[in-house]
Amino acid sequence: MPDFAISINGLEKSFPKAYTGWRAVVQPFAAPSLMALSEVSLEIKQGEAVALLGVNGAGKSTLLRILSTLLIPTKGTARIAGFDCVRESRAARRQLGYHAGSDLGFYARLTGEQNLRFFGRLNYLKDSLLDSRIPVLAKQFDLGDALGRQVRTLSSGTIQKLSLVRALLHEPKVLILDEPTRSLDALAAGDFRRFLKTEVLQRRGTSLLFASHTLPEIEMLADRVAILNEGRVVAVDRPEALKRKAGTGTLEEAFSKFTGHSGHSLEEPRS
Amino acid sequence: MIRMLRDLWLFFQRDLRIASSYRSPFVLELVEALFGAATFYYVARFVDSAELRAALPQGTSYFTYTLVGVVFFDYLNTALDSFDHSLEEARDTGTLEPLLVTQVSLPVILIGSSLYPFALTTLRVAIYLAWGALLFGFPLGAADWASVLVVLATTLLSFAGLGIFSSAYLLLFKRGNPSKWFFLGVSSLVGGMLFPVDILPHWLQVVAHLNPVTYALDAMRGALLDGAGLASVGKPVLILLVFALVLLPCSVAAFSWALRRTKITGTLSHR
Repeated sequence: MPDFAISINGLEKSFPKAYTGWRAVVQPFAAPSLMALSEVSLEIKQGEAVALLGVNGAGKSTLLRILSTLLIPTKGTARIAGFDCVRESRAARRQLGYHAGSDLGFYARLTGEQNLRFFGRLNYLKDSLLDSRIPVLAKQFDLGDALGRQVRTLSSGTIQKLSLVRALLHEPKVLILDEPTRSLDALAAGDFRRFLKTEVLQRRGTSLLFASHTLPEIEMLADRVAILNEGRVVAVDRPEALKRKAGTGTLEEAFSKFTGHSGHSLEEPRS
Repeated sequence: MIRMLRDLWLFFQRDLRIASSYRSPFVLELVEALFGAATFYYVARFVDSAELRAALPQGTSYFTYTLVGVVFFDYLNTALDSFDHSLEEARDTGTLEPLLVTQVSLPVILIGSSLYPFALTTLRVAIYLAWGALLFGFPLGAADWASVLVVLATTLLSFAGLGIFSSAYLLLFKRGNPSKWFFLGVSSLVGGMLFPVDILPHWLQVVAHLNPVTYALDAMRGALLDGAGLASVGKPVLILLVFALVLLPCSVAAFSWALRRTKITGTLSHR
């Protein structure tokens, strides 16, 4: 067993400049020049929950997408349960559940259950396993009759819950969530956080790396917080330790101290 | 291999379920095919002449010649369209990323997603031929069905390579593929869809013989209208196989390169 659920070492990611007009023809071949992540190193233990905190454009989603094998880093390595996210991407994907925090990503004309079964089978789950896991997870997420209805008839929040069920269906060792409660109402978000805490983190011992702008969510779930600013990790520690180091009473104030951004900038809508 | 076939079947099943949630298109398809077959019949009657009959293969009427040409040309259309379309749809509905974090590779996703459109094209071709036989004397009884199946299979393999090239282009450049329209245009002129390639100027005949469509339509007319056995269609089938052996690996390599490139530039889900 590898020592770390997630191991990130000297990770860098740059994107090419976006061209417009006729120059867009060379876009696919353009050299990367805009730095999104720089020298990011982070290790997450088995069963640990780490939150990524940063303003829009700080590099949180880029980091999560590299770990989910959707992006290739410019430099450095990222490993999930010991598997390299570039060279052993399929093995790495077997160990992770990914939820992008959006209410897209399902076939609108298929029912919730048909969608879950389709994606479950693509992760090589047997029908008997799907028969037992889908109803249990649906109950835990209070999905009600959503399993039997076409996705196009479901609310944004219900689709997001369905997406979380999909991420958990193959019981991954590592769960990667990008703003997981963004589309949920306060009640559903609270239920979801409790579920993550008790079921996913405490009972199953799943490791969690999540990006969030919601500070109470971070304080409830995260063992440690990694503060990202302009693509760099500027601080990583337990929430209490971060406050102590910054000499502040709240995480929001600590964030401001470490990044120079106002805490309000965390609440800005996602671009 | 069995796992790959199972994966491909999952995609076919998905598309069948989605298609069956709509009711009217099948009925419309039936009606459209009736009008199409009738149009070819009356156009053929209008232009029929001794000179025209002399230019066509022995015993072939212009109606049967064009019906086979036009309906089987549709496979090229499907090949050039279905891979692009499935990729575009996955990107637009947000299902591309959830698919890419499963255990299944993108080439399998792409090929699996094109199975249903090919099956639908086969059904459309069958409806056209059935209307032609029922109402306008299309000689279905003359066909050598074993040859028809072999020609169809090799045609699909050689056309699929062109489709995968087209989706590699889409992945990189995000918009409709000009080479697709160019290839369709050239093929409709020199592929032998509406008239034999022998009547073209010499240099265009050379172009025609570099095009798999010419061999596919030639062989299909032989098998369907002349009852040509496997030995008789062996040469065009062999040439189609050579096209497939060259185009398929090259197109998959081009697609894999394009996918890697989009993971580097971060434009995988861009439109």
